[in-house]
Amino acid sequence: MTVKVEKIEGGIPHNTIMVAGLIASVVLVYLTYANVLTGTQYFAFFGGLATVAALVWGSHTIKHLCSYGIGTGVPSAGMMAFGSGVIAMLFATKYGIAAPIVAVILAAVVGAILGYVANNVLNMKIPVMIVSLVEMAVIGALVLMGYAAMMSGSFELSALTTGSVSILGLSLPSYQASFLGGALIATAFMLGGIAIQHPFNACLGPSWTQDRMLYLAAECGFLSMIAAAIMSMPLISMGAALVSLFVAVIGWYYTYAKYIELSKRDAFSWLDSKPIPEVEGQ
Amino acid sequence: MSAIGAKPAAGSAMDMTATIIGIIILLVIIAATYFLVGPGMAFMALIGVIAGGILIGFGVHFVPVGGAPAAMGQAPGIATGVAMLAAGAGLAGLFGGAWAAELGIVVATVTGAVGGGLMMAITCMFVNFIYVFGMGIPSASGKVARDPITGDTQAEFKSQGTEGHGLPFVSYVGGVIGGLFGGAGGTLIYLMLLEVYTEELPGMMNALPGQILPIAVTLAGIFAIGMFLVNAVLAAYNITGTIEGPHDPKFKRFPRAIVASAIASAVCGMVAIMIVAL
Amino acid sequence: MESIVFGIGITALAGALATVAGAAENTESDIGSQGDPNSQVQLAPQMGYLHRIFNKAIAGEPPAWGLWIALGAGIAWAFMAMQVNPILAIVLGAALATFVQGVYATTAYLGRTASLAKFGQPVFVDVLKSMTTVTMAHAFVAIFATVTVCHLMNAALGHPFPLPLLGLVWGIALGAAGSATGNPFYGKERQYQNQKYGAGVPIAASGNIVRYAEAGERNSLDNGWFSARLGGPASGVCFGLIVFLELWRTVLFEHIAAGWGAIIIGIIIILVFMVIDRYIEVWARKNYGPYGKPAEEASS
Repeated sequence: MTVKVEKIEGGIPHNTIMVAGLIASVVLVYLTYANVLTGTQYFAFFGGLATVAALVWGSHTIKHLCSYGIGTGVPSAGMMAFGSGVIAMLFATKYGIAAPIVAVILAAVVGAILGYVANNVLNMKIPVMIVSLVEMAVIGALVLMGYAAMMSGSFELSALTTGSVSILGLSLPSYQASFLGGALIATAFMLGGIAIQHPFNACLGPSWTQDRMLYLAAECGFLSMIAAAIMSMPLISMGAALVSLFVAVIGWYYTYAKYIELSKRDAFSWLDSKPIPEVEGQ
Repeated sequence: MSAIGAKPAAGSAMDMTATIIGIIILLVIIAATYFLVGPGMAFMALIGVIAGGILIGFGVHFVPVGGAPAAMGQAPGIATGVAMLAAGAGLAGLFGGAWAAELGIVVATVTGAVGGGLMMAITCMFVNFIYVFGMGIPSASGKVARDPITGDTQAEFKSQGTEGHGLPFVSYVGGVIGGLFGGAGGTLIYLMLLEVYTEELPGMMNALPGQILPIAVTLAGIFAIGMFLVNAVLAAYNITGTIEGPHDPKFKRFPRAIVASAIASAVCGMVAIMIVAL
Repeated sequence: MESIVFGIGITALAGALATVAGAAENTESDIGSQGDPNSQVQLAPQMGYLHRIFNKAIAGEPPAWGLWIALGAGIAWAFMAMQVNPILAIVLGAALATFVQGVYATTAYLGRTASLAKFGQPVFVDVLKSMTTVTMAHAFVAIFATVTVCHLMNAALGHPFPLPLLGLVWGIALGAAGSATGNPFYGKERQYQNQKYGAGVPIAASGNIVRYAEAGERNSLDNGWFSARLGGPASGVCFGLIVFLELWRTVLFEHIAAGWGAIIIGIIIILVFMVIDRYIEVWARKNYGPYGKPAEEASS
């Protein structure tokens, strides 16, 4: 309980990560629109990549916010992000092609009000509170939109609510077998909510390093994407789901290996089946 | 939960200017909704959502949560995070309330409340069970000299070098009340949104009410969970993570949490209702 | 009548599965030092006490279990939507969720330990290998049992929530019940076995956790062995009772007086637990006595 409140030193500045994350995730969500243009579903995996970009950004925002000490656990910040993001995201899906932009703007407004409430009404007086909650709400909305686009092939409300069931070889439309009707959004909610807070929660400590945390964020994103790819199987064509799965596994393997390498670099020592080292002076 | 333990500088005073601005935001949202959807069911749903949010925000203050020190018997309360414990109880209540949804709003809300209270009653009983029979530690509060309900003295049951441990009876009752409020609030939000969605979605999507039901249930359910978490986390920020129960001095901070929950629920509720009403 | 008998059977089955799930959940989190006792595992190296305890800080237990169960339920739902047999679908869902849990566990241990490099805490690869697999085994049991409970609620008892939503709700409840009940037993009784029995850990002793076992150095499997004796079963009974009583009062009494029957029974159950709690509290005060008088040392 005595981890010092640490400041971000060196590394990539937060604003760079924020801008890059925002642009990358919005662009990647839009790339899933290629599905509509080409009439296939093979571009759904871009939605998953959008979540990875947003989660990398989000992990750094959490680091930025929680380095002030918010009085309760790091995970609660992730829950807050998704609790406010899910509402903005679902509202935005009504607006068809404009959905990602609407989601970003609306989430920012909701986040700003929540930030004002937390910072001023609840008297928390944390300098980055409002900005952070704006970012978190936007991230929550974009991550959920990314999963929605990935699992159902499109980010429009009609696609999220209708699926098809094949009974005896016949394909029938069904509301139940859809991203919303099957409540897969609940799983997406938790996938994102844990993945966003885990990198900072797992890497906090005096020897925190930025690159290690960001690789872990990407790893969490790709790991969640593997799970999302499997859940997309009944909603989009099997080929498209396998493409997503393939991309996710490759990305996960690379980032996981890289993260272990960086942990090896940062760790004091890397021992296998050795006793606790003797500490001088004890 | 996490090793970040630095306490924020949040004081216990209320910032009057901010509170007034907050109330103005709240009124603007309510007025805007009234202007957009009229005085019909959707507007009443917003009021219900706000009431549910207030119940959650208020209820969290009753739940005795000790955080990390409670796991070592260093502080009274339940050894977990406040937002998540409240969520556990409130969502268990939501489960019961959603099941009883067709029995009418009053019955369903009370069922949800009892579900949350039941979860907390069992959990808190087991906390004391473990402390007493597993660790041989009697309960003692660190904040008050006497238990306000039973009148038991507390100080001499506090072991050396700790702030108290276990759940004195007042904390137990607080936990149950917190569960009742949380369950009722979560269920109320769910019922209000479910009513709006089952009414409006069939027209919006050109489908039969029966077909649309899974969508309505999921939308209302996920929004209820989302708003529950937002309100619970805000309340947790208000008490800076730990509280002993209704006798804790931090409990007096609840007015600003009520304002905060009302605003947060109004914003979220307005957007959630606008999905179908606009 | 037949439907009520059927409902009671399902309720009993769900309660039994939930008991297994709660016990496995708590043992899993104690082996991984997840939840609040984690703070001490994290603190110890900073105070100069290097250790070989697994430090699997994924999140608080409730959100983490919210994810594992919601994920298991989501994948099970997806396979069921592809016309896979429910039991096979739940097994596949639980297996994949366990895989995700295992990966999270390794990254959490590596991350936390690498960030403690300043204090000289090394990464023990053998700890990672042997503990992760054991936590995954426990996690599989807990996820499979809880997802099955959720499936029973949805398919057999007709709860309106779809499977993943039920998974989210009961996952968070499972984590909350398990961490509330099991954490103190592991945190106080096992980590601080060297402190006086029958008293809280003095704040001054924080970080001085027990690091040596009967033979050699303590690892987290020893902790799992210990907490499986009381903390695990108590968490199991706690979660099992929550699930069982919640379903039982609804299945049996919901149709009495238009829903009020279930409410009254629920209130009676709450009052019964309140009386039990008060009895435990008074029993402890009477039998252990206050700390003030040295003659009546707390417990013996």
